[in-house]
Amino acid sequence: MNQMLVNGIVLGTIYALIALGLTLIFSIMRVVNFAHGQMYMLGGFIVYYGTVVYGLNYFVALLLAIVLVAAIGALFEIFLFRRVLRIAKREENSMLLAVGTALLLENLALVAFGEKQRGVPPVVEGVFEIGDAYLPASRLLVMGMAALMIVGLLLFVQYTRPGRALRAIAQDKEVTYLQGVNINRMSVLGFALGAALAGAAGGLLVTVFAVNAGMGTAVSVKAFLMVMIGGAGVTAGAILGAFALGFAEAIGYEIFPGSLTYLIIFVAIIVFLAIRPQGIMGRTS
Amino acid sequence: MTLLSVANLTKSYGGLVANNDISFKVEKGQILSVIGPNGAGKSTLFKLIAGFVKPTAGKVVFQDEDITGLAPHVIAERGVVRTFQETTIFKEMSALHNVVIAHHLRCHATALGIFFGSRRAREDEHRFRESAADILQFLGLGKVMQERAGSLPHGHLRALGIAMGLATNPTVLLLDEPFAGMNPEETDTAVEMVRKIVQRGVTVVLVEHDMRAVMRLSDRIVVISFGSKIAEGKPDEIQRNEKVIEAYLGREDDELGL
Amino acid sequence: MSRKRTTAAILVGLLVVFLVVIPVALRDAPYMINVLINSAMLSVIGAGVWVTFAIGRINISQGAFAMIGGYVTAILSTRYGVSFWLCLPLAGLIAAAIGVLVGLPILRLRGVYFSMISLSLTEAIRLAFLNGGQFTHGASGIVNVPRPDALTLFGVTLIPAFDGASPLPYYYLAIALLILTLLTLWRISTSRLGWTFRSMRMNEELAASVGVNVAKYRVIAFGICCFIGGVGGAFFAAFHQNIYPATYTVSDSMSFMVFCFLGGLDYIAGPVVGAFLLTISFEVLQPLQQYQPLIYAMLMIGFMLWLPNGILSLTSWGSEAVNRAPETPLASATSPAAPGTPSAAPKGEA
Repeated sequence: MNQMLVNGIVLGTIYALIALGLTLIFSIMRVVNFAHGQMYMLGGFIVYYGTVVYGLNYFVALLLAIVLVAAIGALFEIFLFRRVLRIAKREENSMLLAVGTALLLENLALVAFGEKQRGVPPVVEGVFEIGDAYLPASRLLVMGMAALMIVGLLLFVQYTRPGRALRAIAQDKEVTYLQGVNINRMSVLGFALGAALAGAAGGLLVTVFAVNAGMGTAVSVKAFLMVMIGGAGVTAGAILGAFALGFAEAIGYEIFPGSLTYLIIFVAIIVFLAIRPQGIMGRTS
Repeated sequence: MTLLSVANLTKSYGGLVANNDISFKVEKGQILSVIGPNGAGKSTLFKLIAGFVKPTAGKVVFQDEDITGLAPHVIAERGVVRTFQETTIFKEMSALHNVVIAHHLRCHATALGIFFGSRRAREDEHRFRESAADILQFLGLGKVMQERAGSLPHGHLRALGIAMGLATNPTVLLLDEPFAGMNPEETDTAVEMVRKIVQRGVTVVLVEHDMRAVMRLSDRIVVISFGSKIAEGKPDEIQRNEKVIEAYLGREDDELGL
Repeated sequence: MSRKRTTAAILVGLLVVFLVVIPVALRDAPYMINVLINSAMLSVIGAGVWVTFAIGRINISQGAFAMIGGYVTAILSTRYGVSFWLCLPLAGLIAAAIGVLVGLPILRLRGVYFSMISLSLTEAIRLAFLNGGQFTHGASGIVNVPRPDALTLFGVTLIPAFDGASPLPYYYLAIALLILTLLTLWRISTSRLGWTFRSMRMNEELAASVGVNVAKYRVIAFGICCFIGGVGGAFFAAFHQNIYPATYTVSDSMSFMVFCFLGGLDYIAGPVVGAFLLTISFEVLQPLQQYQPLIYAMLMIGFMLWLPNGILSLTSWGSEAVNRAPETPLASATSPAAPGTPSAAPKGEA
């Protein structure tokens, strides 16, 4: 029982990074970043190549992953989304573009990295015992870093000028624009930041689970689920949704065989959303 | 004869109370206006009556039947139809077609018949087009029937919204700010239009800001401020009512920063 | 009038090409015929998604219903010896029934919320079949699905059994299903049902205020979509003669949506153009092997950047549809032409 709790907390914290990144992009640009899972995957691969292939220090590789994935996010916003959002007559166009970017990243990765699973050895050795649960030190480290990043993000949007601008845009783009905020620059920041979070999550989790070039869609689906459970566009909702899914997974995998866990999770979510479509913390439109 | 009555109607969103314990009656053939300063909760009231929002408490009774909380299309079917404040029309279609579509409730053909183009379906289409052209002429839109609705000038859009309401053959028509954004000339035309509608046998309830039009047109007026009803009566009574004057003046003071 | 003649001429031309020219010309190229079969049936499934676009929903769940249709056919024909010709409509009906059941609650959502939950549906159904135990054989799927048997009515053989020697029988069936589907779409689009859908897409609240039972019509549209998906899945099960939980993935659901987009959401022929174009270009790019999906992705992005209204928006039908509000077929009969607009000619497509 304790093991499930421990697993749930670890998973939840890292999933929160993913969910927050997706929520951030969605609340700034009203676009669902379908490529979110692929960005996570890229984060993992960059760390893999950095540490295993080029022998860099893990933390250096992680930083590299975060910066590179953020750059990809920024490029997507500047060259792709900005134009399509401007010229699109239907809202579906931006979604399709997002799907296209996901395919692009995934196939670039397949070409560049091949189809093999890659893993990175744990950063630190040792195992802690908490009650009758085991917590490997590396997982604790990874969770700790994720928690730090989340806190950093929350502080950023609460207390810094650009952070507050991002929150303002999420609330009301028109008004924020009229107050003189450079929406374009903030959109780039938002997308880059969201992407960075996904890449960070990937770079952290590659020390725990393996990555392969085709895993993007599965991760994206999880991210969507978390955001839907918690309530799209709401920060607290993203964190709640992440922990809800993290615990559901931890408990599910202990009790049920393999893929049955996710079947139950899906059905439960569909039923839940049928009753409460806005998620736990979302606002009714 | 009381056609529509609203009793203790309340709507709260968490801590915010949009409508608080509002009650009034609408007599057949009457024009009743609901007025009040900005943000008083007038539109919410209409949404509650027409079924677009479920009340927290209270009842809406139409022709002695409780219609509280029914789905909007069911309430429309019963005969209480609401026109909208903004997006009143289907922008991409012609004005004529907007009104044809609004005849939905009057169709006789079955779903399968519609799909296969049965004779009844085609007869329906024919009836609707004639009726639609009729209504548009009646409201002075005859010349712009074929124009794309989205490119019509503001005044025509309002009239089109009302035309669509009429197409459903309503017993009570809820007009949500029909004179909004109109200059005095346009308002006069619109006031005449509303009078003609009532002559045709439709009972009208209005939500409006334009005091001149409301005073000229209404048989009775209900005044709402901060979600509660503060007065009800004939136009001249309302004009002299102290609470009403205060509600409007008090607001102006706020705006002036006093 | 001449535009109508042009449309008719093109349609007849296409029929001749597909029904006569191609079977003769490609007689010795079964591989190419298979490509066309795939294109045609993928168009059919994509056409289902078009119907949900018509009510303003971005539906990424069609893979789930193709899967259901496929399994229904596989299980009924392998285990109970049910004739394919019975399985085909049954697959559609069962898929539609499940669609109606699930659709009732989820269709209340709109925009990205609906899309994300529909995406989850594809995964959920895949997992359901994976964990179906004895009933669905889990990961091993169901194999040896028989080819379509003969269809006899009162002792008369209407359709001979598919012997597997040539893909042509499947080809004709696929084209027939495609024609049926397009006729259905055309009929929906030009009938009052289509206008009801359109009014809902433009403004659901407004439609409700004039008496449209929005919830009911949403479910009708979704049901039609799922029926078509189920029929497509049934075909593929009998074509490939197997079905696995992996047969339809999230990517497939996305593809069906992409077909509609690529061709153009305003056009009935949209999903057909999209499906054919993508499937054939996929084949053409084969020699590029591993770069194939990459180019596919870049094409998609390119389209969004430069041709957001789909390919068909480039044609003359395109510019008209964008500039003029279309009328129902009775338009020419009763309405006076307003000054400045061309005299209303009935349009055969949305």
